[in-house]
Amino acid sequence: MVRVTGNFQSESPLHPKAFEVLHAAFDNGWADPAKLSESSAKARALRNNALETIATSLNLQVDWLVPVSPTSLGYFLGIQGLPINSKTLIHGATDRKDVFAVAAQNRHQVMQSALDGKLIPSPTDSKNSVLALQVANAETGVIQESDAIITGTNPEQIFLDATTSGVRIPLGNQFTTALFDSKSWYGPSDIAMLIVKEPSHWSNPLPHLNAARPNFDVSLPLLLASAVALENFSSEVKAANLEAFEFNSQMRKAFAALPDVDIAGNLDSSMAHMLSVSFLNCNGEELLRAIQKDGYSVDSGSACTADDLQPSHVLAAMGVLTHGNIRITIHPATSQSEVDGLIASVIRSVEEQRS
Amino acid sequence: MREIDARGLRCPQPIIELGKVISEIALGNQITLLSDDPATEPDLSAWSRMTGNAFEKIEKDTFLVTKLS
Repeated sequence: MVRVTGNFQSESPLHPKAFEVLHAAFDNGWADPAKLSESSAKARALRNNALETIATSLNLQVDWLVPVSPTSLGYFLGIQGLPINSKTLIHGATDRKDVFAVAAQNRHQVMQSALDGKLIPSPTDSKNSVLALQVANAETGVIQESDAIITGTNPEQIFLDATTSGVRIPLGNQFTTALFDSKSWYGPSDIAMLIVKEPSHWSNPLPHLNAARPNFDVSLPLLLASAVALENFSSEVKAANLEAFEFNSQMRKAFAALPDVDIAGNLDSSMAHMLSVSFLNCNGEELLRAIQKDGYSVDSGSACTADDLQPSHVLAAMGVLTHGNIRITIHPATSQSEVDGLIASVIRSVEEQRS
Repeated sequence: MREIDARGLRCPQPIIELGKVISEIALGNQITLLSDDPATEPDLSAWSRMTGNAFEKIEKDTFLVTKLS
């Protein structure tokens, strides 16, 4: 596996241990775990082991786990599978678009965001509500005060979006369904874990004939790789968070020293490995390209970098500047020299654009 | 009153044009900004917070900006 340098995008290469296991997983895990052959029995054992590993690492019961692929489907399953008919779906203005898509099919109410990215629980006229709550934001890393929002909205059922927070933030136990993304622990992308804590309040919303066998199952080798990545990352997460916090502080301090800079959210209430920063009078796409020329890859929430030319709905909802935006993700492999290089490259690029 | 017609310009150009003109006018004076870029409205609210100026949306694609600092 080739080490990637200068990568500050939200995606990253697989965890090295997961990469090692993939080959063996395709070798041993090709059979259908539901069939009766010997190879199927082997695949079944591998699958059960993977689920046990995932449950242990997430500190959840194994019979709550429902592997889903792709991740975007997990939002539909996790929310629409709740008894939502004739109820109001309450969700945040900074949620992923997948949540907006499900909300559009239901009666819904949107919680607005404060400048620091914290959602403001809105009083609901409906006693029967379902809350979809993002534990931490996918673009800014801002962590919600889940307990206060749950108390403020008093929902009957709760869906927690843990796709960004992953194992970096404890899930708590106030939820009916929750969704994890394997990518958050450096497993394969588009493998998700739907957590159904209260099966009596959830049913498969997809057309299906056999309720006992989900019709959205995931590739077994990818599930195995995901389990290995999770098991390994769980033992590294504390150190990764500490190091990321230090790197993130350095970046925030360096960028805040420039004039006309808008940093989304505060580090103390955000994921330590994420940073979204906007520079007034700069063009996001040009910044991204200039930084890439120096060998560093970052993301951007600016309209000019989006397929639909719309600015980031997260930044707009927070009231943070949407143009001249870059998003930086710090990975466990990120080094001090990469951080120093990125800081210098960003400052140089911003100053060049403004001159 | 000065008017900036930034229709057809993409972000961050409308805000850059606004920044140029606002530095040329006196405190309390106003500028009409015409812009059909979807980022202009959210960016005007961030811009006014960052620069200490004010704006209001008069109608679709039309913003009235007041220099306060």
